[in-house]
Amino acid sequence: MTENIIEVKNLTKIYEEGNVLAVDNISFNIKRGEIFALLGPNGAGKTTTISILATLLFPTEGTAIVNNFDVQKNPDYVRRSIGIVFQEPSLDSEMKGVENLEIHAVLYGMSKNKRRKKIKEVLKLVDLEDKASAFVKNYSGGMKRRLEIARGLLHEPHILFLDEPTLGLDPQTRRKIWEKIMELNKELNITILITTHYMEEADELADRICIMDHGKIIALDSSENLKKQISGDIIDIQFEKFEDKTRIPMLITQLRELPGIKNLTFGSLKDLTDEIPASLNLPKNIPNVNPEMIKARVREIISDPNKLIAAWKKYPMASQMFLNAPLEMKKRVANLFTDDQLNQIPEEIKDEIVKIRQGEITELENETEPIISISCENGGKSLPQIIQKINNNNLIIKTVNMHQPKLEDVFLHFVGRAIREESSNRSKNIKQFIQMRQLRK
Amino acid sequence: MADLTQMERKFNYQAVWILAKREVMEYLRSKPRVISSLAQGFLFLLIFSAGFAIIRINIQGVAIDSRAFIASGIAAIMILFTGIFGGMGVMRDKMFGFMKELIVAPVSRKTLMMGKTLGVGLQTLIQVEIIVSLSAVLGFFGYDISLIWRMLLIIPVAFLASIGIVGIGLTISTRIRDFQSFGLIQTFIVMPMFWFSGALFAFNNVPFFMQVIMMCNPFTYSVDLFRAVLLNVSFFPVWLDLLVMIMFGTIFILIGARSFSKMEIS
Repeated sequence: MTENIIEVKNLTKIYEEGNVLAVDNISFNIKRGEIFALLGPNGAGKTTTISILATLLFPTEGTAIVNNFDVQKNPDYVRRSIGIVFQEPSLDSEMKGVENLEIHAVLYGMSKNKRRKKIKEVLKLVDLEDKASAFVKNYSGGMKRRLEIARGLLHEPHILFLDEPTLGLDPQTRRKIWEKIMELNKELNITILITTHYMEEADELADRICIMDHGKIIALDSSENLKKQISGDIIDIQFEKFEDKTRIPMLITQLRELPGIKNLTFGSLKDLTDEIPASLNLPKNIPNVNPEMIKARVREIISDPNKLIAAWKKYPMASQMFLNAPLEMKKRVANLFTDDQLNQIPEEIKDEIVKIRQGEITELENETEPIISISCENGGKSLPQIIQKINNNNLIIKTVNMHQPKLEDVFLHFVGRAIREESSNRSKNIKQFIQMRQLRK
Repeated sequence: MADLTQMERKFNYQAVWILAKREVMEYLRSKPRVISSLAQGFLFLLIFSAGFAIIRINIQGVAIDSRAFIASGIAAIMILFTGIFGGMGVMRDKMFGFMKELIVAPVSRKTLMMGKTLGVGLQTLIQVEIIVSLSAVLGFFGYDISLIWRMLLIIPVAFLASIGIVGIGLTISTRIRDFQSFGLIQTFIVMPMFWFSGALFAFNNVPFFMQVIMMCNPFTYSVDLFRAVLLNVSFFPVWLDLLVMIMFGTIFILIGARSFSKMEIS
């Protein structure tokens, strides 16, 4: 008995039909008895990963060990070690609830006595005893889910896979299912692998969260640590006098030296980020992109010089956006870079930035009060120090606003590229990849 | 680990049985299906036996009651209809997700397929027996004590006939992706096999080119064997009927098994 119940190593899955690289060389371990969440947007590769672990799909490359059995070499043993609740319902709705369980029990080779006992047990566990002899087609969505969970537990698996178990359920039912999941984990000591794209679900349940996007693991840690990673608090300070603007850059250099300060931006942040999405020409075929998410993402990118450079290099759209942006925004962006970073910027943008920095491009400055936005590890600790510094500089504060990054921001921090225009690029790469593999054979 | 290996041995037939049972139970429970199959039988028997009553049928010098001739043909045809669409139940399982549950279970695809085949086979038996007993009650086969063992003998014959048909159904349903294709299957597979099987007319009453087509239709031999059992007359020798049926059944169940085990569920 090793400590890890699931060991995934360099796992890759390509759907050759559509040239889709669904899972891209991922490795992770799941410890015995933990609740492990795979979090990611639609199409991130969560379901594919779970399907491979459940022996429904074979990996293109790499290995996966489940309960000490290799998914490719011993699929039957793996199947007996796991219980699955699929993303879509997989019950026979023409049968009664108890009959669905019966079929499952027989398929998993349980003896008649054991069958009877266990079915009673799991039905009780999910509170469906009184509904067991009703036809599944008359069940509500939540009841179906619970029955599926019961079925997944019937053969006493070591691991339970839950693929988006609360998709499309109302909040009460979700809560109830969460409670059941935690109960199972604590009382029966079942390892649980859950996929979801609800951040709060992962947050509530999981001991560790693995964020996936584009088939890759982007982050893997406990929920607490993940939240810390994206910085603790954001402090916005607005100054009283417009004339103070000239003195603020000096203040910023001083503030940067304070401990716990991660990032600092200068300008009227709110106006600018509200403006950005308006100037974005989003491709029409993106379904359900929440404008708020894009805003949050853009806000996120423009406060981090390294990400900006990466974005400019990768997407022509991003550089176009910068060149078309209002001057004040350009200025703010231009002042973000150190000389070192400046050299990495693509040529056309670099020219523009140098010009701005040297003050060659000017415009009528509108008279708004200067605002700085500081992100720091611990707002409570940093704020007094920041105010101290501001007082030393004889600046007058108009308003102070401290807030925490939202859960959504954490998620977006890692996956956020709401605009996935690079997909055509990717499929080219995958085609090449497949060709390479075929050549090697 | 020990318990895992132990499970493996005594296992499969139970799984096959519960899957077959599920198939039959669902059939018997769904009232529309039972009613429609009963009504269809009635309708066919009444219309065809009334409509064809005047036609003289003569097989190898023996004059045959045309009603008995038609009734036995229709009994055989039931296998065709129920078998193909029963085999296509895989399609339904695929669409409603239950196939995933089956595939991820620690049983081989072969077991799953055997369960399905057995289940559909039993379903067709029920249908065939309904038609045969109806006709027997109506007196189409005459009232004869030998009818009892004939009706019992028809069970293995019907089962044998259904195997190949279910194989076709399985093959199709693992490959098509939507219910729209059902019409296509009906037009291009079920109907030709029906009309060219000689269920409704005598082999020796049709022009030569029809005879050739009918001889190429494997289901012709099943219909023929049905008549051999029920009426004691046949166009082809019984051994030929059996041989063709066994070959047809073996080939198509193997093809069905192959496409079943290759089936991908995403």
